[in-house]
Amino acid sequence: MAMRQTPLTCSGHTRPVVDLAFSGITPYGYFLISACKDGKPMLRQGDTGDWIGTFLGHKGAVWGATLNKEATKAATAAADFTAKVWDAVTGDEVLTLAHKHIVKSVNFTQDSNYLLTGGNDKVLRIYDLSKPEADPQEIAGHTSAIKKALWCNNDQQILSAADDKTIRLWDKNTQEAVHTLSFDASVTSMEYIPDGEIVVITYGRTIGFYNAHSLDLIKTVDAPASIHSASLHPEKDFFVAGGDDFKLYKYDYTTKEEMESYKGHFGPIHTVRFSPDGELYASGSEDGTLRLWQTAVGKTYGLWKCVLPEELSSENSEVLYCPPAEIKA
Amino acid sequence: MTFILKTQTGYADAALILNEISMKTPVSVLRLPRGPDPNSRGFDPNSPRFIALCPTTLSSSSSSGAVDEEEQRLRSDLRERFLRTLLLMTDKQVEFNMHEKVRVRARFGASDIDVLNFQVSGLETPLGVQKEALLRCQDVISCSFEL
Repeated sequence: MAMRQTPLTCSGHTRPVVDLAFSGITPYGYFLISACKDGKPMLRQGDTGDWIGTFLGHKGAVWGATLNKEATKAATAAADFTAKVWDAVTGDEVLTLAHKHIVKSVNFTQDSNYLLTGGNDKVLRIYDLSKPEADPQEIAGHTSAIKKALWCNNDQQILSAADDKTIRLWDKNTQEAVHTLSFDASVTSMEYIPDGEIVVITYGRTIGFYNAHSLDLIKTVDAPASIHSASLHPEKDFFVAGGDDFKLYKYDYTTKEEMESYKGHFGPIHTVRFSPDGELYASGSEDGTLRLWQTAVGKTYGLWKCVLPEELSSENSEVLYCPPAEIKA
Repeated sequence: MTFILKTQTGYADAALILNEISMKTPVSVLRLPRGPDPNSRGFDPNSPRFIALCPTTLSSSSSSGAVDEEEQRLRSDLRERFLRTLLLMTDKQVEFNMHEKVRVRARFGASDIDVLNFQVSGLETPLGVQKEALLRCQDVISCSFEL
């Protein structure tokens, strides 16, 4: 019997959710951090969406948030001109890094020793977290605000996307741009897949896939509406995308065919990411919510329970929350 | 017969579903994700992850215990210095700065146990020298003397 996707809504934020990131898989599961314009980024258990804690301290909208692989550290980028590093176990603020303008993006290296930041002052900065008082290494070149900055290629290179409609690949040591990609429209999101060396870039209605070393184009797919964010499944069999029309689209990566589309959000989708095990993907929207969606609809995972038709009508179904079969007035 | 299903996707979908007349069953969930606690910022110190990854703090109560010990040590140090100062002041000419711009000199005798009054002799006042007097400590801002 065909199953209908039941997204899990994570409430708590009071303003649009603009960024989200998963940690790696840790002995305690995996975690999710959400950046919100209400200035209060939240940490959640990745497979259930259960709230764990809120990082309090920023005095402005938080535009970017990230976790390190082990989910022991978090970093956030905010409109209060600072990036902050947090202890993701205690929720305590560990470091505040002052910038000269709104910070939009933060990213840890694999060993969590360096933090990359980028924002409206157009400069990429690399902070050595073991020497936080030291001046960061700065890489200039972009001619407008940086939207996203990511470590790639074994943390030896940096990918940055800016409002100047370019994506640049920098060498960390020479600080020079090794490759540049130019677009006609503003790049709305960027994701780096280390295993496979793929960069996922969205602009206009297009989702583009590029080689992370050469920035050669692999393929592009066009969606029915303007796309703000896309994410490729770890096994690279599908990717999901969301944007202006509030819907989440799921595509087959190999054939480029649209497989499914899901309605649910009440506002444009700003960010979407697959979990590290690929079993679910999370979307953040203008409506202030995060929603978790199953990759394999109907499978028992996290809070979702695979229920056979006989069980639904039996007495055992008390423990299950079944979406009610009626329309409220 | 029209089969109407309301899913978690909300009212906006109601019209769509009416048109679709879909027979798909929505996936069941055990419960909804837990939301934030309105009274705290979270990061439960009793969670297995916290306990395992924060060995230096042990538990939250003993971490404040360590801070308290340090504070107590500092407090005792300060108290000891104060008491020794009072001892040194005995029988010396001391100048007392008091409220309302009052500055008087006297020979310090002793303090009471709660440091509410200082017993002094030969208190020099604008009205003359008072052979014996008690100075109210809460009126004293500071006092100085030569060792």
